[in-house]
Amino acid sequence: MTLYVHCYEEHTHRHPFYSLLFPPLALHSVPPPLCINLSFKPNLFTSSSSLFFPLYKKLHNMSHRLGGRRKNVKKGFQFTLMVVGSSGTGRTTFVNTLCDSGVLAKKVCDSPEDAHIEAGINIKPVSVELDEDGVRISLTIVDTPGFGDNIDNERCFHEIVAYLERQYDDILAEESRIKRNPRFRDNRIHALLYFISPTGHALREIDIELMRRLSPRVNVIPVVGRADSLTPQELKDFKRRIMEDIEHYNIPIYNFPYDVEEDDEDTIEENSELRALLPFSIIGSDEEIVVNGRTVRGRQYPWGAVEVDNPQHSDFGRLRSALLSSHLQDLKEITHDFLYENYRTEKLSRTVSGGDQDDAAMNVDDMASQGVRLKEEQLRKEEEKLREIELKVQREIQEKRAELSSKEEALRSLEARLAQAQIADA
Amino acid sequence: MSPSALTSDGVGIAHLPNQRHKIVSKRGANFTVMVCGESGVGKSTFVNTLFTTAIKEPKKLKARHSKQIEKTVEIEITKAELEEKNFKVKLTVIDTPGFGDYVNNRESWLPIIEFIDDQHEAYMAQEQQPTRAGIIDLRVHACLYFIRPTGHTLKPLDIEIMKHLGSRVNLIPVIAKADTLTPKDLAKFKRNILDVISAQDIRVYSCPIESDDETVTTMNKSIMQSMPFSIIGSTDDVVTADGRTVKGRQYSWGVAEVENEEHCDFKKLRNLLVRSHMHDLISTSEEIHYENYRQTQMETRKFGEAKSKKYENPKFKEQEEQLRQAFTEQVKKEENRFRQWEAQLVAERDRLNKDLEAQHAQIKTMESELENVYQMRGTIRR
Repeated sequence: MTLYVHCYEEHTHRHPFYSLLFPPLALHSVPPPLCINLSFKPNLFTSSSSLFFPLYKKLHNMSHRLGGRRKNVKKGFQFTLMVVGSSGTGRTTFVNTLCDSGVLAKKVCDSPEDAHIEAGINIKPVSVELDEDGVRISLTIVDTPGFGDNIDNERCFHEIVAYLERQYDDILAEESRIKRNPRFRDNRIHALLYFISPTGHALREIDIELMRRLSPRVNVIPVVGRADSLTPQELKDFKRRIMEDIEHYNIPIYNFPYDVEEDDEDTIEENSELRALLPFSIIGSDEEIVVNGRTVRGRQYPWGAVEVDNPQHSDFGRLRSALLSSHLQDLKEITHDFLYENYRTEKLSRTVSGGDQDDAAMNVDDMASQGVRLKEEQLRKEEEKLREIELKVQREIQEKRAELSSKEEALRSLEARLAQAQIADA
Repeated sequence: MSPSALTSDGVGIAHLPNQRHKIVSKRGANFTVMVCGESGVGKSTFVNTLFTTAIKEPKKLKARHSKQIEKTVEIEITKAELEEKNFKVKLTVIDTPGFGDYVNNRESWLPIIEFIDDQHEAYMAQEQQPTRAGIIDLRVHACLYFIRPTGHTLKPLDIEIMKHLGSRVNLIPVIAKADTLTPKDLAKFKRNILDVISAQDIRVYSCPIESDDETVTTMNKSIMQSMPFSIIGSTDDVVTADGRTVKGRQYSWGVAEVENEEHCDFKKLRNLLVRSHMHDLISTSEEIHYENYRQTQMETRKFGEAKSKKYENPKFKEQEEQLRQAFTEQVKKEENRFRQWEAQLVAERDRLNKDLEAQHAQIKTMESELENVYQMRGTIRR
């Protein structure tokens, strides 16, 4: 599909293998729905390590080794991260710790008289420029305050899923435009951090429901927030039980996939280490405290001080490097190549088969305009053909006329000669 | 006339408290406490820490996959008998698993409220019986509501249920797992909670402060000022950095002690619940709350009429159905048995009747033969 190879600047893998993978096709009048994509669409809905189709993994790693990042080091990366969790799980503090600055404002507890009013969920993106090992990253963080705070939380899920799908719809519409905007901003969410409340037991219904509903649309990474309320043994048991629950309910999360046959030793080791740390235990702090003479980021308790960057206290450092350095590209690729493609296939097959009209209502305009554009192109091509034919025909007519006139002349000259000859004879 | 001087050791009225003491210590006390809050917030651990014995079992997590997620709030009753220095206390702990755990928690407080009201109701009904000897009293004396330590403020769910609870029982708000909040965060959190409680008109328990003893007054004052209480619960013994063995939680950055006043308010809460104010809790719930309930019920209901149930626990309905079915089956079986027996009897009777008739017929024939014989003899004789 030549379409997406041209699209986005940050999608840098313009190397020969892509043309193998997606051979250039003539532009069909109807976008090819299922045929091509199916063979490259692995079944995402298994949470085991055989998540990814081996062929894709091979190509993906090759592209990695070819240093797909080299081109973009100067230009910088663009990455969008969404943080979801009940209030008080440490989302805002985590974001501030990640960006090393007060990006998000802490929750302002408004008047106590209104505390019983249920505010709905509020989705707001914030942009920040980071510098990670010399690489510029333009990070967009989408916070979701209000999630899980109401008495009835059904609507929260809808809102988040609708937001994700809106971003995909924007990309879909942009892709099908005849003249695309070269400065189009890609707002798709590349990774979603879900903050689990540190109860110490196991996953609650709201956790399971949310992860299950969101994982077809986005890479979900579960995270234990406020991990300083659990002792090391409790934390270990808690993590184990969470992973058991995820297995049991078949929730497909992003678990740092690797291929045992194809990848090299380092990648396998790195990914399996990160997978063993899932879900990451996070302690966040935007204050600095003094511990043994050193000034570090941390939290000061009467019985001791917790350091944010200490790998024995929290997995914050590992998560940060995984998100912003080592697995940034991986996350983006999966979002684009699988999640987005899945969504696209579902949506287009829905409207092509004329099935579900409920959600198609708001996409009908997009689809109509796309259809119109394609028809326009068709018409134009046919017009051109007709014009050519016309020209050809006219030329032929002219030639014929020229012939005719020359023949006429010849005839006339013959006649004249005949008349002359007759006169001559008489 | 001057009143006659009392003898030096008085009439003896001053010995009444001692007698009362003997009676009470023989009878023992009966204390019911309810722990309410979302799961995983530390309720069972707190109860075990408070009474330093494993009263409540920790939640069985291995079996969580085998049963379906039922979307109901349950009421779990655990009974224990404690004895210290020959004084017995019958302790009942009521837990509410399932509260606040689901996506939709609307009306999840109804089972809890129904339970509390039912206890008042049961007591009232038993009081109206002719014989009031063996009354079973499960009225809740204190309700500890565990607030999740978000650090911000109360959630709408918390506010809703606290309003309902505060008007029916002695409500004591408690900040659970306080070892996740720094002292600054904790102070801010407590202030926010107190603001919300006063703005939303939630009734919380306030113990009597004034007392004859100065130390007691100051202690009461300090207790009331620390509301809501921040607690850390632990039943394990750990060794601190300076070598003491205390009850606490061992982190890789330090040990959070349970009984250290600077770490949490556990001691104050224990004083409130057990050492100094248990009797006050019991008496206020019996006098004030029970009387309130009785008054409202008697104003609106006829004497002897059953209470209208607002909440139907689906499990109870199922059980009711099953019992009813079992009952009808048994009745049918008995009826069948009777019918068979009846049929048997009827058959017997018919058989016997037939025999009787046969006998009759025989007798008749014999009689007629006899007659014939007599006639013949008569004619022959002549």
